[in-house]
Amino acid sequence: MQAGLLDTYRKPTLTRGALAWALSAVLSAFYLVLYFTEALTPVARATGLGDKWTLYGFLYTVAMVAGGVYFLRRHGNSRYERIRTIVVVAVQVVLAFALPIVMKVFGAREYYFSYFWPLKIEYLYPSVILSHPFLIVAWSFVGSLVAFPVLAWFLGKRFYCSWVCGCGGLANTAGEPFRHLSDKSEAAWKVEKVSVYLVLAIAVAATVVVWANWAVGSRHPAFASFAFAVQKWYGFAIGAMFAGVLGVGLYPLMGTRVWCRFGCPMAAMLGIIQRFGRFRITVKKDMCIACGNCSTYCEMGIDVRSYAMANQDVRRAACVGCGMCAHLCPRGVLKLENRPVRLKAGQPIRVYAAGP
Amino acid sequence: MHYAILGNGVAGMEAALALRRRDAKARISLISDEHDFFYSRPALMYVFCGQLDLRGTEPYERSSYDRMRLERVRARVGALDAGRRTLAFDDGRPLAYDRLLLAAGSRAREGSWPGTKGPGVHAFVTLRDMEALDRDARPGRRAVVIGGGLIGVEVAEVLLRRGVSVTFVIRESWYFPLALDAQESQVVAEHMRAHGCDVRLGVNVTEIARDGDGRVRSVRLEDGGEVPCDVVVVAIGVVPNTGFLAASGLRLSSGGAIEVDDALRTSAPDVWAAGDCANVTWADGSRRPEQLWYTARDQGRVAARSMSGEDVTYRRGTWYNSAKFFDLEWTTVGHVPALLNWDNTPLDPGPAYRSVFERVPDRPVTWRIVLEGDRVAGFNMLGGRWNHEVLRAWVEEERTLDWVRAHLDEARFDEELGGPVRAGR
Ligand SMILES: Cc1cc2nc3c(=O)[nH]c(=O)nc-3n(C[C@H](O)[C@H](O)[C@H](O)COP(=O)(O)OP(=O)(O)OC[C@H]3O[C@@H](n4cnc5c(N)ncnc54)[C@H](O)[C@@H]3O)c2cc1C
Ligand code: SF4
Ligand code: SF4
Repeated sequence: MQAGLLDTYRKPTLTRGALAWALSAVLSAFYLVLYFTEALTPVARATGLGDKWTLYGFLYTVAMVAGGVYFLRRHGNSRYERIRTIVVVAVQVVLAFALPIVMKVFGAREYYFSYFWPLKIEYLYPSVILSHPFLIVAWSFVGSLVAFPVLAWFLGKRFYCSWVCGCGGLANTAGEPFRHLSDKSEAAWKVEKVSVYLVLAIAVAATVVVWANWAVGSRHPAFASFAFAVQKWYGFAIGAMFAGVLGVGLYPLMGTRVWCRFGCPMAAMLGIIQRFGRFRITVKKDMCIACGNCSTYCEMGIDVRSYAMANQDVRRAACVGCGMCAHLCPRGVLKLENRPVRLKAGQPIRVYAAGP
Repeated sequence: MHYAILGNGVAGMEAALALRRRDAKARISLISDEHDFFYSRPALMYVFCGQLDLRGTEPYERSSYDRMRLERVRARVGALDAGRRTLAFDDGRPLAYDRLLLAAGSRAREGSWPGTKGPGVHAFVTLRDMEALDRDARPGRRAVVIGGGLIGVEVAEVLLRRGVSVTFVIRESWYFPLALDAQESQVVAEHMRAHGCDVRLGVNVTEIARDGDGRVRSVRLEDGGEVPCDVVVVAIGVVPNTGFLAASGLRLSSGGAIEVDDALRTSAPDVWAAGDCANVTWADGSRRPEQLWYTARDQGRVAARSMSGEDVTYRRGTWYNSAKFFDLEWTTVGHVPALLNWDNTPLDPGPAYRSVFERVPDRPVTWRIVLEGDRVAGFNMLGGRWNHEVLRAWVEEERTLDWVRAHLDEARFDEELGGPVRAGR
């Protein structure tokens, strides 16, 4: 067994007990206050952090660092988990926290180098593009439209979702104790299949509308106000309510990847590519004892066990490659892989001469 | 057609699923006195320590039973009347069948020492066993685990994690001699001791001593030693769960397992048996039950084909198995002979036997390659992850030692970024 998981199912905070509901309410309330009031602004000023967003970034980063240490104590016996966690926390500290502050100090507009369209939808809005230096715009374009699809093809979407992204980073550090709460039911999967691609479609549509407005806006005031409404509505419904209030607020009830799984357009986009790319989880034939550790601790609610029992490699758009299923499998049945299929681990490249 | 399946463990469940796939219309009854749904017995330790909930160990969603029209009967079968094709439940209700599969599994073998019967002495095979131990094994208590097999080590691990101190009493002079050699056992014993487990090798239990109120006080050992304790877990193997067949006329082995032919038919018409309770022919020609998850699964599938009229033969392919000793994973493939008898006399593996043992320096990672003459016949891999399919292919292809050594890396199945593994000489 994994020592850190002792009594997971005996803790009221981790089994949707009253405490879990209370915690969920507190987290949601925090996000509501953050997004829709200025209550945190005085706190930010008093602590010398300037505005509420910098304060939020600071708290977020602290949560990730502390959660990362906690994670390493629980799962640091896996080298994959160790390296992944150190990287995702380092990315947060450097690219998403320190660098933007440094930029601000030097009078530049802050920029979060680890976030990209369509997750950070405004990074491909004309307003952002036109107000940033060329190199940053290039970083953003090349990242979203060239590098990410290529990387997702070769490595799977995990390179972003589990190694870089701050949303995934918080889920896998501070949110770690809640990962088993992901909904494994078939019903959840049916919702997920629709909702995540719907949000991607909306994100693409919203981006197109905003660009179209930039191109023709001044001539069509009605369209301009429509585009403005789209932008605002997307920011409210998807950015604030879904990713923030629900995404983190539901940690104690539905696990840590509610946003990543049901809403994130980046996850949807990279997932489609992953589905046809190289990344998969190889299953060792006929070795599964059906214990359920993999499925229980899959934060994306994938029924990994059903694949293992059927000797089928896991190729799922949803998988964020956190590696936890492989790490926890007591029979070593699972292996994350992105080698070409013909070089699949444990499948000898059969070019030996016949005979011994 | 009414198929009755006694037992919803892996053998029974796999048979039910296979029968349903073959016949969409048949009536299928799944009987169990243990749990309403198929769950993974090897996962009991994870439920005990709270890493999983019982529902998480059920491979199929509860709603799917109705969808697949698997009728579940939660009751204990007390008798079988094969002549009338009827099962009788303990409450007297009968259940008529057309074809019956007995997949009754195992129960724990009981100790025969004085003091065995009574409170405080536990087993770890069924859900009820687990629940009883769960109530009794409170943090701070002291436990003695008796028996040097796979269930014993799992129990020792979860008890220790819970804060129960554990003395692991093993009759043989090294741990798990059925599958490990002396050096491998040494590695495992060191590992268990490093986790705080007090491992006592080569000692026999003579008595479970109780105080005036009947509470367990200690375990007495043959060497005169005495281990004070509050809880005892007896993990000295399992026996077929076939007591209810005593009056059925079915042919049983001396150990109580149900005799079956190659198509898993029992001695009675329209009755098949599969899994832990069936006495089958092993590769070496001997007849014994195979008490493994993997074989129970395969037997259940074969039995279903046999029951639906196919001409099938159950044969286990090249042997493989896996387990975990605390944090040490173990994979075995092919012919790895036992080297020590239960009475601590050495077993002769035959003149052609030779083995090569290697250990990664400073890490509990070892492998043993077993040779028959100059060909590789088996692998015993400890501490790392290996793909048994690759190792199996090499055994079947009768590779030489040098060849296998040169290609060993191809069989590795460790997590990514696991780093290199090199044996020291
Ligand atoms: C703690 C533990 C860990 C294990 N770990 C491993 C492992 O890691 N790898 C491995 O290969 N094997 C392992 N095993 C062995 C493996 O679990 C068994 O070989 C396998 O479960 C046998 O399956 P089965 O379907 O034959 O029987 P079982 O799973 O035992 O199912 C038998 C069913 O029959 C029912 N039944 C029996 N008699 C009656 C009756 N009279 N009336 C009504 N119902 C009845 C029982 O309720 C039970 O549900 C482990 C066993 C235990 C106990
Ligand atoms: S399938 Fe495994 S690697 Fe993928 S998200 Fe689930 S637990 Fe993580
Ligand atoms: S793949 Fe591993 S963790 Fe998942 S059910 Fe099978 S044995 Fe358990």
